[in-house]
Amino acid sequence: MSEQLESGAPTFLDKFPDEAAVVRAALWSSFIALALGAVFGLIQALHRTDVLRLIDSTDYYTVLTAHGVLMVVSFTIFFLVGLFTWATVRSFDRGVESIRYTWTWYGLMVAGTLMAVVAILGGFVPQTDISADVLFTFYAPMQAHPLFYGGLAIFVIGTWLAGADYIWTWRAWAAENPDERIPLQGFMVLTTMLMWYVATIGIAIAVVAFLLPWSLGLFDQINPLLTRTLFWFWGHPVVYFWLMPAYLLWYTVLPTIAGGRLFSDPLGRVVFVLFLLLSTPVGIHHQYVDPGIAEGFKTIAMTNTMFLLLPSLLTAFTVVASVEHGARQRGGTGLLGWLRALPWRNPAFTGMMLAGLMFAAGGFSGMINAGMNINYLVHNTIWVPGHFHLTVGTAVALTLMAATYWLWPQLTNRRLYSRPIGLAQVVIWFVGMGLMSNAMHVQGLFGIPRRTAEPQYEGFDFVASFGSVSELNLQLAIGGTLLFISTMLFVTNIALSAGTPKLSGIGQPLSEPLSTVDDSPEILDNLKLWFGIALVLVVLAYALPLASIIDRGGLLGPGVDPVPMIVEPVAATIEPTLGRLAAAVGSVVP
Amino acid sequence: MVPTMSGENTVREIGHDEFDPKGTLVLILVYFGVLSVMWVFMYFVEFLGNDLTVLV
Ligand code: HEM
Ligand SMILES: [Cu+2]
Repeated sequence: MSEQLESGAPTFLDKFPDEAAVVRAALWSSFIALALGAVFGLIQALHRTDVLRLIDSTDYYTVLTAHGVLMVVSFTIFFLVGLFTWATVRSFDRGVESIRYTWTWYGLMVAGTLMAVVAILGGFVPQTDISADVLFTFYAPMQAHPLFYGGLAIFVIGTWLAGADYIWTWRAWAAENPDERIPLQGFMVLTTMLMWYVATIGIAIAVVAFLLPWSLGLFDQINPLLTRTLFWFWGHPVVYFWLMPAYLLWYTVLPTIAGGRLFSDPLGRVVFVLFLLLSTPVGIHHQYVDPGIAEGFKTIAMTNTMFLLLPSLLTAFTVVASVEHGARQRGGTGLLGWLRALPWRNPAFTGMMLAGLMFAAGGFSGMINAGMNINYLVHNTIWVPGHFHLTVGTAVALTLMAATYWLWPQLTNRRLYSRPIGLAQVVIWFVGMGLMSNAMHVQGLFGIPRRTAEPQYEGFDFVASFGSVSELNLQLAIGGTLLFISTMLFVTNIALSAGTPKLSGIGQPLSEPLSTVDDSPEILDNLKLWFGIALVLVVLAYALPLASIIDRGGLLGPGVDPVPMIVEPVAATIEPTLGRLAAAVGSVVP
Repeated sequence: MVPTMSGENTVREIGHDEFDPKGTLVLILVYFGVLSVMWVFMYFVEFLGNDLTVLV
């Protein structure tokens, strides 16, 4: 216990009280989204397994949209801006240039979220014509109320301004410290935000130029393949936008908590540069089964995707080596015996390690998804949610929760309400996700579709190679329930921490890397260069596919009626999808 | 100066040159092993476990 407390050093709150208030506000926004998202997650998990049906199946898509948007847009990104504000201010060791500006972008993000959430929840109220049951992958022909697109646009503008805030701090610092290298956390924040600027080009065009005017009735029709492609232009890099806060924590906070030092600062920088360069030109790997995109472009996207494994493998090595360093400094010995010397009672440590372990498992299912031919086996099955609940749903979500146990005292000068509850919480998450994700993966292999309220059909049974579908359903439901309980424990623990006494001198300085930035070439810090190359790579990857889509369908597309989000047309699209899936399977089996 | 040490639980300071992450190497090799086995397993589950699909 003592390792967390009374170091005598000032906390972030002591040094930067105004900024700490913004960080706390952003994190609370994130936790509220997480709690709401978990409620919807539980409803879905129980509904689709037919354990308990609280809602009408016709409302399933409202729930699913709320779950997806709250989790992967609100929860993750609010946490990101809070964490990045902390990391920027901490690592440059200077307050923001204008705290009013900082509150402004936070306010925009809140306003945008409220608009989008009102539009989504309107789906439960048949008396209004407001609804947005378009799922978090909101491309055409599914159409939402303009409030939804407007809210998204305002939210994204808020994140752009947040990025500008970090750049502003960096430039002000650089003017005073012209010869110094960018501190590591600052570097990670800046490269991630540059990646975000590249990535959001796609979504900004899709929303502002097409989806919003279309939903306002200015256009009768738009080109669905174009909005899909623009969506996935953003839809892949956004996964790294979720992941980079977790990486930042693994690289810069986890080693300290483990009692060690980061193995290599330059390696960390290389990883973030690789993500800036490679995360956007791969989006087409989400469109392996889309007609209208040539196989060649898909193959290029697949190749780029395989290159993207590199930075994650580098991360696995660097982070595990840093933890091993900590264990050996704590007296650990042996080839693997050092694992016992680690601070497993600390929920921040254990949570982040379990998150990393699940990420490793997610690496396997990700490789299956990424392969163009084997992807056909699992495309649009529940395998896919099984995969990303390991990645964003655990590697990211559990890391953010675990790190909060460490960060929150730095922002409040108060101890955590209960460390044992924290420890139980991260373990329950791990077990719950183990069950839910395993059931999802296996069901996916049987061809059970995702995004389906009642995945049971008359006159057709899914054939289970092992276990039975009802056993797997039960596993999924139990896992989902444990995850819900874990989320509630987390949020309650943080809320109750407000009632613990104020302390002083509980600051936790972060340890210095073993191999510092002085050992690395200066060119690594040339952000303009990397940003320029990233833009060129995006143009190379997307110019031809986009040109051919527009050439064939026109900017406003071959007519497709907007799909009103009711159940019938959705059911009608699922059957051909299954048929296609079967055909695809047939074509790869010799 | 920024502290390089990492808390009261440190038994000994280990610098860059004395540190040789062999445990990490073992863990990563184990992971690659697991990945390979899973790939092979996938082949059995998907290609041999499922009946042939007749295209009509
Ligand atoms: C509280 C625990 C959670 C439970 C019980 C839960 C449950 C589920 C279930 C059962 C589905 C599949 C629904 C279907 O395809 O029919 C789903 C989808 C999804 N979940 Fe979760 N989940 C949880 C946490 C999370 C977290 C932490 C994230 C991300 C940070 C997340 C992101 C998503 C996304 C993006 C989808 C896909 C939505 C779509 O298909 O449009 N979930 N969740
Ligand atoms: Cu992707």
